[in-house]
Amino acid sequence: MTVDTSVSETGSSAGVKRRDFLKVLGVSGAATAAVGCSSGDVEKLIPYLVSPDQTVPGVSNYYATTCRECAAGCGLIVEVRDGRAIKAEGNPEHPVNRGALCARGQSSLQGLYNPDRYRQPMKREGDALVPTTWDDALQLLSAKLGEVKSRGQGRRVAFVNQHEQGSFPAFLDGVLAGFGIAPHLSYDAEAPVAVLQANQAAYGAAWPAVDFSAASLIVSFGADFLDGWGLPVPQQLAFAEARGKVEGAPRFIYVGARRSLTGLNADQWIPAKPGSELAIVNAIAGKGSAAAAAEAAGVGVALIEGLVAEVRKARASALLAGGFGQEAGELATAVAELNKARGNVGKTIKPSEGYLAFEGVAGHAEMRVLAERMNAGEVPMLLVRHANPAYTTAPGVGFAAAMAKVPFKVSFSSVPDETTSRCDLILPDHHGLESWGDAEPVKGRLSLQQPTMDPVFDTRQTADVMLAVAKADPSLASKYGVADYRGYLASRIGGNQNLKNALPTALVSGSAASRTAPARTASRATAKEQSGEYTLLAYLSPTLGDGRGANKPWLQELPDPVTKILWQTVVEMHPETAKQIGVADGELVTVTTAAGSLTAPALVYIGLRPDTLAVALGRGHTAAGRYAEAGENAWQLLAAAEDRAGGAALGATKATLAKADGKKQRIVTTEGSGRQHGRGIAQAIALPALLAGEEGHGHHVFEGQASTEFLPGLRSPTANDAQGEFGVPNSKDKGQYDPEHWSGAAKRRWAMTIDLAKCTGCSACVTACYAENNIPTVGASWQGPVLLPDRTGFGANVTRGREMAWIRLERYWEIDREPKDVVFDPEHPDFDTNFIPMMCQHCGNAPCEPVCPVYATYHAPNGLNVQVYNRCVGTRYCSNNCPYKVRYYNWFGYGDPNRSQYAFPEPLHWQLNPDVTVRQKGIMEKCTFCVQRIKEAEHRAALEQRASVGEDGVRIDGLRPDEFTTACAQACPSRAIVFGDAADENWSVAKWAKDRRAYHVFEELNTYTAVVYLKKVNHPAPTASVTA
Amino acid sequence: MATLAHPDDLRRPNIASADIQLPAVTSYEQVDNEILAILKPTKAWFASLMLAIACLGLGAFGWIYQIHQGLGVAGYNPPVMWGVYIITFVFWVGIGHAGTLISAILYLFRAGFRTTIYRAAEAMTVFAVMTAGLFPIIHIGRPWKFFWLIPYPNWRLIWPNFKSPLVWDVFAITTYLTISTTFLFVGLIPDIAVLRDRETNPIRRKILGFLSFGWRNTEREWRHFARAYLFLAAFSTPLVLSVHSVVSFDFAMGIVPGWHTTIFPPYFVAGAIFSGFAMVWTIIIPMRRWFGLRHYVTLNHLDASAKMVLFTSLVVGLAYMIEFFIAWYGGVKYEQDYFWNRVFGQWWWAAWIMLTCNMILPLSLFSQKLRRNPTWLWILSIFINIGMWFERFVIVVPSLSHDVEPWQWSSYMPTWVDYALLIGSFGWFFMWFLLFVKQLPVMALAEIKEIIPPKMKHTHSHGGH
Repeated sequence: MTVDTSVSETGSSAGVKRRDFLKVLGVSGAATAAVGCSSGDVEKLIPYLVSPDQTVPGVSNYYATTCRECAAGCGLIVEVRDGRAIKAEGNPEHPVNRGALCARGQSSLQGLYNPDRYRQPMKREGDALVPTTWDDALQLLSAKLGEVKSRGQGRRVAFVNQHEQGSFPAFLDGVLAGFGIAPHLSYDAEAPVAVLQANQAAYGAAWPAVDFSAASLIVSFGADFLDGWGLPVPQQLAFAEARGKVEGAPRFIYVGARRSLTGLNADQWIPAKPGSELAIVNAIAGKGSAAAAAEAAGVGVALIEGLVAEVRKARASALLAGGFGQEAGELATAVAELNKARGNVGKTIKPSEGYLAFEGVAGHAEMRVLAERMNAGEVPMLLVRHANPAYTTAPGVGFAAAMAKVPFKVSFSSVPDETTSRCDLILPDHHGLESWGDAEPVKGRLSLQQPTMDPVFDTRQTADVMLAVAKADPSLASKYGVADYRGYLASRIGGNQNLKNALPTALVSGSAASRTAPARTASRATAKEQSGEYTLLAYLSPTLGDGRGANKPWLQELPDPVTKILWQTVVEMHPETAKQIGVADGELVTVTTAAGSLTAPALVYIGLRPDTLAVALGRGHTAAGRYAEAGENAWQLLAAAEDRAGGAALGATKATLAKADGKKQRIVTTEGSGRQHGRGIAQAIALPALLAGEEGHGHHVFEGQASTEFLPGLRSPTANDAQGEFGVPNSKDKGQYDPEHWSGAAKRRWAMTIDLAKCTGCSACVTACYAENNIPTVGASWQGPVLLPDRTGFGANVTRGREMAWIRLERYWEIDREPKDVVFDPEHPDFDTNFIPMMCQHCGNAPCEPVCPVYATYHAPNGLNVQVYNRCVGTRYCSNNCPYKVRYYNWFGYGDPNRSQYAFPEPLHWQLNPDVTVRQKGIMEKCTFCVQRIKEAEHRAALEQRASVGEDGVRIDGLRPDEFTTACAQACPSRAIVFGDAADENWSVAKWAKDRRAYHVFEELNTYTAVVYLKKVNHPAPTASVTA
Repeated sequence: MATLAHPDDLRRPNIASADIQLPAVTSYEQVDNEILAILKPTKAWFASLMLAIACLGLGAFGWIYQIHQGLGVAGYNPPVMWGVYIITFVFWVGIGHAGTLISAILYLFRAGFRTTIYRAAEAMTVFAVMTAGLFPIIHIGRPWKFFWLIPYPNWRLIWPNFKSPLVWDVFAITTYLTISTTFLFVGLIPDIAVLRDRETNPIRRKILGFLSFGWRNTEREWRHFARAYLFLAAFSTPLVLSVHSVVSFDFAMGIVPGWHTTIFPPYFVAGAIFSGFAMVWTIIIPMRRWFGLRHYVTLNHLDASAKMVLFTSLVVGLAYMIEFFIAWYGGVKYEQDYFWNRVFGQWWWAAWIMLTCNMILPLSLFSQKLRRNPTWLWILSIFINIGMWFERFVIVVPSLSHDVEPWQWSSYMPTWVDYALLIGSFGWFFMWFLLFVKQLPVMALAEIKEIIPPKMKHTHSHGGH
């Protein structure tokens, strides 16, 4: 018999799992008693990884492992509750990410629980893929490999793996070699191949660490180190640390045609034409004139002269080359030479501390050559694992069509994609969080990967599959004595015991099995003759990457940090360009290149040259699952697909732009107005002004105004009328709100500081909040009204502003007019941008509280503004009265499995945090300051007998300062968010709240917020006059 | 008394005083016969009732669908968390004001022109408040928990938050509904007795007898009746002012730009009377024509009420201007931005519908000719109804869509569900009203009889009835 393990998530999820566990226990027990033995599948509701005595229902286990979402190899701590992974967090001891984690890393859980994952092996029968058994699938694979081997065709077989570091590539090559197959291609469409090659040649390290703190000037030539270029988390940690110094922080200049997130974090933007960066670098190096460079770049000569002077004067600079052009390699080489000449190597650019993430990576050229071979009928068998070259290559490569010429294609991918759907046999791999593995992110340090839970579906780790295949071949069996891949790994680090000892941190000294990657192909695509008025920048999406994140609703619903677009593909253009062709935001335009065309709504973006267009890659999948269908596929536009190093040239395509017969789509964005209208929400101050003691906005104290200082309990800014007896200020009975009350409930004032000098706007906090607080995504096309919906398609709910992000990243342009009216001035193209994370401010004097008719929102003695879901009747008055607009309403039953709007289709709901209620329709919700974490810490302190009673008879909760933090603060790769008790001097937040840059948003409304922002610090050019 | 050629062709006495005359109405029998003749159902009435019920059915379907699916089926666009339902709520509460004003305040002021219209206006009040009262329930996310807003003893000792204007609303609306229903009913007692006396069906006769409290038309009864009526009029008078003041607190107590202003209570009360009179016209003008009541509701009556409308229109217009002035004078940036956006920005069309209908068109009533033109008054009443609905739209939607946090600025577009419930509310209102006009006299028989000259003075010099 089959036991149904589906878990319904109704009102509360905290008890559900236990209840279901008992239910299933009862059912299976009864079934066993009745039937005796059963022939069907028996699934386990609590898949034990560790011996049962370690799994206490309702108490989390934590497993250290390695993130596989990109090549970086960050360390993870995965929280597992009742046998299910529920949260991915950064490993604080890991050398790469030091406890932080980006949005993509956190979304690994939605890959693990992706509802579109293959649930068992599949094989092709006719046009359809049908489920099969592992025995059958393995037999088929062994037979085919044996065939290849016996015919001596091995050298012509191709294996394309998603690039990963660690021992697996070498292990895989070993098995492949046994069948006479050439080493696999380790493809990563996100790898900046040209830069890697140039760095290797110049520094002797493909990805040197950059010490931004040591620099006084950072210049990025299109190197989007905060957008996902390279290793996003360590780069952001280093950058934010440097900028957080305030005094002595480096000034940052960004050179590039489009201001990416990295560009928006720069103090100055030089909008050089695509392809002109090299001329600018040469001008700095003294190999060309500034005037010629300015001419090539299409910007004022003063800008270039200023840049040249600044780099030459800089004490220590960090010059970084990215760029999407065909000369990316030359640019990187020139920049490396310049770094050497300026003496930066060893100071800011540290090859000795480099990252090994991209060792042995293959680029676009390899895929093209492979497609050519496939087209020529030379490839008898193709094996792919996780890589998706049918999607992530230029249309000129014709990878998908070439696959049809391959007689037998095998995929090891665990989620469907354009490549896998064309395969004949699918042997779904475990997800990274179910697998054994390792990575060597920095030299000499192994980051281990261990399963965090039993497999969700009937999948097998590819390494084990290969092992089984090898063992099935009599000539190879002797070489593989280990039982499984875990055994192989254990043998590599000196035995099982060593492995066990290393697992608590998943870090161990050592190095991964080395692999001789196949030599890069020398073949280069001949640049086609192109015409077109505009240069098209197809950029890797900061949220979806090359498209691999597209079927994760968290990432689809995470607004792009720059454009704030979600669930949609737009054509970005400068307002001047939009005026020229007569379109406004949302009107459809067609971009045509030599490779293809794409029709999508226009979006004006002021951070783009008028002669360039930009489209984000990653959306518009045809076969990658239900969520991935949103948007359009920009890969199909790439005409000049390769740079001279064989990497994807994403920004070298010429395009024409035309209005598409006046049709319009609603822009799916979370942005209302992109300007502050002088309201001082995200404040910034120029460094000289700060040093001169100017405060800028805020901090007006009027006579008679209540103190905004953080104090415990009733003396907190809540003021005396919080809960006094009938509001009498000096009332004797204030209950728990009295700091002297025996419960000690009013001892603390939970608060948060956010340092805008560090915040880059990356939005990792947003996804952390979704993961921690069971926030539903609402943008899927089926999550709207059922009858006569007036808005349809992906993002329909978002066009009505119904996204649920408890924390959002506001991105404000500091411009004096609407973005659509901005004119491009090559002499003064610059504008400031301020980011600010906005969440419930937990006001001491909260406007939402008095208006709720049923006390569903009220003030807790510890300063929290509490929302009681069970009590809420949904009048929404609280949201109306909230100046910060941080309250979110359940317009539909997103938490109800029986509705089309259900946000957690099986098994996505396995991820739900049992400590947090899944909200029902018709109620309000908002940031709770992770109250479940506060409670957990208090309970832990009590259990560890730290709580006590003071001399005055008041209970002391016994929390250690900074003992825990909120999900957003924990994930933040900028370390900008600090949470804690502002009433206790021993907590860091209390110190930060007194910083000279501290301010409250809308202080004039007397809300006495618990969130303190620290002004961003701008670093103007040394000679420029001081402007805030 | 001479019969006039046309009932509309009248002298123009000052009927704002109690000195009112209905020259074409000469005898008590005529009053009874003409007004009670209305009670006979007609095909047109059945058709109208069916139409009203069809509209109500549409609204009911929309509401059931909304309860099942969630409020997302309506056009809400956060931060515009209140929309058509709250607008319609305030609209109907406003409508509900004219009835009590006419029957109570004008009674106390002895304004004669109320006599023939007050019954219809009072019934309109009760039904309008019944309609309005539904909308807060329609509007909330979990309507089945509505009773949590009502303070009732419970073992959890959880009470509503008495600081919340929404709780005040509960009190204001229920009080108003209770008082206005009582007032309507008490006024009806002598008239029900007339119906009872003419009723032949024994069951109906019994019911009517019960409803008339066994009225026997004695001196003592009349004395008590007059005192009770006066008392209720005095009791209702403050409610006219307080209910809409409380409703205005829903907005004025918020700190939303465009809401947070002390002018709201008087402004809302004036607006409510304004809209209430417009709705009275919308109902009375066709009624006097279709039911042949032009000699009861004469041009003099319309003229007098038109002056009332003109006055309240000027008050409302002044309030609009003061809002702009204070926004400028107060120097609060949020308010200034908001008012600019309201009138010249995103919501210019709604604001100008409001200003045109409520401030500009009613100025035509300075012309006596137009004041005495029922067709124009009816057309104007429709404009005012639309204008007053848009006044609430302009208060609710633009304020929320343009709050202090620019990142969350948004727009608002109702869906078919919003419209279905709006139409349904009219269906509900008119269903009750249509049922009323065929069950109970739509004009106060007893009060009309009071103002027509007693027969005995003219026909019989000796003896009486």
